[in-house]
Amino acid sequence: MAAQARTEHDAGREKGRAAGAATLALAVLACALLASVVLACGLGSFPATPGETLRALLQAAGLHAGAPVDPSLAVVVVDIRLARVVLAGITGASLAIAGAAFQGVLRNPLADAFTLGVSGGAAFGASLAILSGIAGGAALAGDARALPACALAGALAALALVLGLSRAGGGPLSNLRRETLVLAGIVVSTFLSALISLLKSLDEESVSSIVFWIMGSFQGRGFEHAALAWPYMLLGAGIVFWRAGELDVLSLGETQARMLGLDAGRSRLWLLFGASLLSGAAVAVSGVIGFVGLVVPHLVRLALGAGHRRLLPASALLGALLLIWSDVLARSVLPRGAELPVGVVTALVGGPFFCLLLARRGSGGGRA
Amino acid sequence: MLEGLGRADAIVARTDADRLPARIAKLPVIGTHMRPNEEAVLAQRPDLVLQMAGRKEASLPVEALRKRGVRVAVFRAESFAELFSVIRRVGTLTGSAPQAEDMVRGMEARLAALDARMARAKARPRVFYEVRSPNLLAAGQAGLVAEIIRRAGGVNCVEDAAKFAHLSEEEVIRLEPEAYIIQRGPMNPAPLPLGKRPRLRTIPAAASGRAWFVDEQKYARPGPQSVDAAEELAGLLHPELKPQEITPAKGAKHKDRK
Repeated sequence: MAAQARTEHDAGREKGRAAGAATLALAVLACALLASVVLACGLGSFPATPGETLRALLQAAGLHAGAPVDPSLAVVVVDIRLARVVLAGITGASLAIAGAAFQGVLRNPLADAFTLGVSGGAAFGASLAILSGIAGGAALAGDARALPACALAGALAALALVLGLSRAGGGPLSNLRRETLVLAGIVVSTFLSALISLLKSLDEESVSSIVFWIMGSFQGRGFEHAALAWPYMLLGAGIVFWRAGELDVLSLGETQARMLGLDAGRSRLWLLFGASLLSGAAVAVSGVIGFVGLVVPHLVRLALGAGHRRLLPASALLGALLLIWSDVLARSVLPRGAELPVGVVTALVGGPFFCLLLARRGSGGGRA
Repeated sequence: MLEGLGRADAIVARTDADRLPARIAKLPVIGTHMRPNEEAVLAQRPDLVLQMAGRKEASLPVEALRKRGVRVAVFRAESFAELFSVIRRVGTLTGSAPQAEDMVRGMEARLAALDARMARAKARPRVFYEVRSPNLLAAGQAGLVAEIIRRAGGVNCVEDAAKFAHLSEEEVIRLEPEAYIIQRGPMNPAPLPLGKRPRLRTIPAAASGRAWFVDEQKYARPGPQSVDAAEELAGLLHPELKPQEITPAKGAKHKDRK
């Protein structure tokens, strides 16, 4: 009796400690994010001392009383760097939340926006917009809204197509098998990438625009892009967070979920929709950026465990951090202001990291 | 170029992007300049295939043509000196060497006149030449555009030694260009005017309004029109230095050539 009480007591303490650790981790990540935003605004080819950077940021916030900052410096720090940092941050957070949700819903550690063809759909929508000239070159410069809209529409259309394909064998939409979903996703993804190649070979003049866009980059993006994307991201994140508890239940498996009284099919549809909104909006403004959605949730699971109420916010913060710093690398590695596509940086960082995870898992050392 | 040599009638086919002069627009297309189609070229039974050196993919089919016994000449013109030698060689290959010599002489004379005019320029503005945006690409120090800028009395503010330079908006702000040239054409189909790019609002070119669109075909494709490009740019950069003598003879001669 006493022993049992002690175990329960220990379990409670364990739980409390885990929650404390999670809160601490979230606080640390949030502080790191704040510091990163300021630091990242100070880095780039235009010379700016930390003091000048800070003054420019304060001036933009209306908190700087002294002499006005050099206008060029203010544009560089606020309109160019801060805008990119904000966009990279919300994009990274969105991709990470979406990745966690896809992995939870599909109970597949390899799942992300690519698996269900959502990224492919967005990329196809954008390619089509570039090729048909609705978007032209002006879209990325913020003059037209057509490109992001087409990308988002493409993402949701791809999801609809995958769901439609999955139920082709009959049965209600709410009762889909995970394996079927993944298979349909891969088929749609592959088909879409073939279509993109087709578009590219049809019009050589657009190839560089399409390739540049698909590789993923924050170059030339401004606050207008963040403004375009955040409502969808917020909506998507809202849906996923609202159903975070259901994600936990879903990841136990179909039967358990039903035993616990969860309408698994419905819950899954909602979560897929939310995650697709998130990744569609992310792809819409920044192109296809891989590995964030895949790697970040894994990292967080290693540190904080699989509970989605902790996993989701921590993934969001870590995703934002990862993408902000990847973008800093992308824009500062090459001399004279030349840039790497940020998708290349995340893949270069994410690839080896993923190998490491696999190796640990292979040797039985990790929980991932 | 062949048009200028009076031999445009000898052209039997073109690439997809060649639409000038108007009379060749109706000719069969043998593919694009990046991926010419070997079979389509052979179908025209050409005596001579002319190509501007470009990417590797573009030269493979042409190499294959050479192996099949078709006469092939591949050119590179990254400066006016190279352009002149290309014109002379094309002249020789098409049996119009004297016309080619005339054309080169005329171009040299106009460039010399332009040089003399620009020697009087008090200041040489820092010029930024935008090849493509978004995914900003600028003209670097190599290539014909760089020489056009120099001949037109400007200084290319992009210091990259290559023909093209990738750079960020931040770098453009750091370079402080006094004139911003945006080429419009296949490489840059829908560029925004500088006035609609709020992040570049503080560069000197935006403040002074010295920003212009130019024709990619005229500036970036080496040919007789490259001298027109240099003269046009000189007029934009140095409106105070009017050409002293626009002799009718010269103008008429020019018209003949075109």
